[in-house]
Amino acid sequence: MTSTIEPGTGARTVSAPPCGALLRPAELSRNIDVAGLVDADGGLLDRAVFTDDEIYRQELRRIFAASWLFLAHTDQFHKPGDFFTTYMGEDPVIVTMDKNRRIRAFLNSCRHRGARVCRADYGATRSFTCTYHGWAYDLEGKLISIPNKDGYPDSFHADDWGLVEVPNVDSYHGLIFGTWDPHPVSLRDSLGDMAWYLDAMLDHDADGTVVVGGVHKWMLEGNWKLAAEQFASDWYHVNMSHASALTLLSPSGKPKDEVVHRTGRQYVDPKGHGHGFPVHPKNRFDAQTVHEWIDYAVLRERLGDARVEGPLTTGHGTVFPNFSYLPVNGSIRIWHPKGPDRMEVWAWTIVDKSMPEHVREAQRLYNLRTFGPSGIFEQDDGENWSEVQAISHGFITNSVPLNYQMGIGADRRDTRYPGTTSELYSDAAARSFYARWRELMNTSAWHERKPA
Amino acid sequence: MSNGIRVAALDEIPEGEGISIDRTVTGTDDDIALLRDDDGSVWALNNTCTHAEASLAEGWVEDGYVECPLHSSKFCLKTGTVQGLPATRDAVAHRIEVREGDVYLFPHERP
Repeated sequence: MTSTIEPGTGARTVSAPPCGALLRPAELSRNIDVAGLVDADGGLLDRAVFTDDEIYRQELRRIFAASWLFLAHTDQFHKPGDFFTTYMGEDPVIVTMDKNRRIRAFLNSCRHRGARVCRADYGATRSFTCTYHGWAYDLEGKLISIPNKDGYPDSFHADDWGLVEVPNVDSYHGLIFGTWDPHPVSLRDSLGDMAWYLDAMLDHDADGTVVVGGVHKWMLEGNWKLAAEQFASDWYHVNMSHASALTLLSPSGKPKDEVVHRTGRQYVDPKGHGHGFPVHPKNRFDAQTVHEWIDYAVLRERLGDARVEGPLTTGHGTVFPNFSYLPVNGSIRIWHPKGPDRMEVWAWTIVDKSMPEHVREAQRLYNLRTFGPSGIFEQDDGENWSEVQAISHGFITNSVPLNYQMGIGADRRDTRYPGTTSELYSDAAARSFYARWRELMNTSAWHERKPA
Repeated sequence: MSNGIRVAALDEIPEGEGISIDRTVTGTDDDIALLRDDDGSVWALNNTCTHAEASLAEGWVEDGYVECPLHSSKFCLKTGTVQGLPATRDAVAHRIEVREGDVYLFPHERP
């Protein structure tokens, strides 16, 4: 058979077309030196870190594409095909259990035209089909069905076009994290001493934790770091911001002295994590049913007095960059960045697997009342973050630095708590959070380095 | 007239689901999907969707139809007639008999 069409100069044969090549210009990812925006020793912060578009895009490249990020709880996956969709930074990902019962994560974007291949929040499936043209992928991310496949050249191999997989997924006591870094510091090593504080919530007994109810999701005006740094470091706001909520929860209408006059410690992690907690021998779970069910003596045996009298109950923590938690009500949450001015809060309630149903329900309701999307404390916090963000774009406003100087010089190491701690009322963990942020923002990420 | 090919025990096929029988067993061009409707009846179609690579045996079976697990085209269990896009061609249907709890296939005989 002969063709009537003459190939032009440089035309390639139909049987062996090129597989293609792209080269992204460096100008698309220009990096800003942020050293002058964070003074972690002097306790000053430039508000541009909350508002600038280019800094935000640099965060996506160097913070979110490079760090271990919280994905889901292991209790969300019980059989092959169970899936949950979330984000890593702004990248949509599917977390799923494959046929070998391994938890894996894939970029939720079709390799053909880029639409999401899974539009559901969670569920169970055998495959993921793009709703645009119908490319379909199995639970291992392999491209298994291509409508009109005959239309592609011989050089097209389905094996080359599977879903992009998150190269490292690991879990710590039920919390699943993933990172795009192909050669990361291990999850356990990246948690460091923070694991001791996390265990106060996650390791009450050998059975671990489970999720109750669904995942609450809400939008807030406010940069994601406003929430992350507060959970790492800020007990200072409690009596002021939450005055009405604390009063409301007090039967006498006047909060008890031991509630409003708290002393405690704040763990300061060099990798940007933080956990603040009041210290008192009679620290307790707030929900009465939970309090009555908990055997504090057994917990003292397992976790030690320092944890039971500190981070076990009332306190707050952040695992850098954007995973936070509240042990007293079992709230774990992620602050998804949605541009410099917005975040999406996704919050789970976790309880001890060993808890009977009525205790789980009491904890669920207590969390809903306090730190659910309409919780009496959560509303206060969201209002503060949105307030700070709403005015931060003013030119003069934006150029006035913020004060993070509380507790400078108060860091200490002792035998009671692992790592370095500061006072309960201190900005130390926030300073460390921003020091870590600055370090990552000024360091080439794995995807910027030339392959060895 | 043959007695058909025994291809499965009826209780191997849960209601609302299907199983695939390899073509080396059936002697057909394609694997055969045995599909069990939610009323308990069993039907046989060529297993590969007429639209694109997909196993109808892994689809959803309900109310006289099977829905392709990948692209949601529906086919009549009895006739193989396609009910909606993206598929445009009918599936091939084969006759089935259930005798004493076993499923017998009559390749290429109309149901």
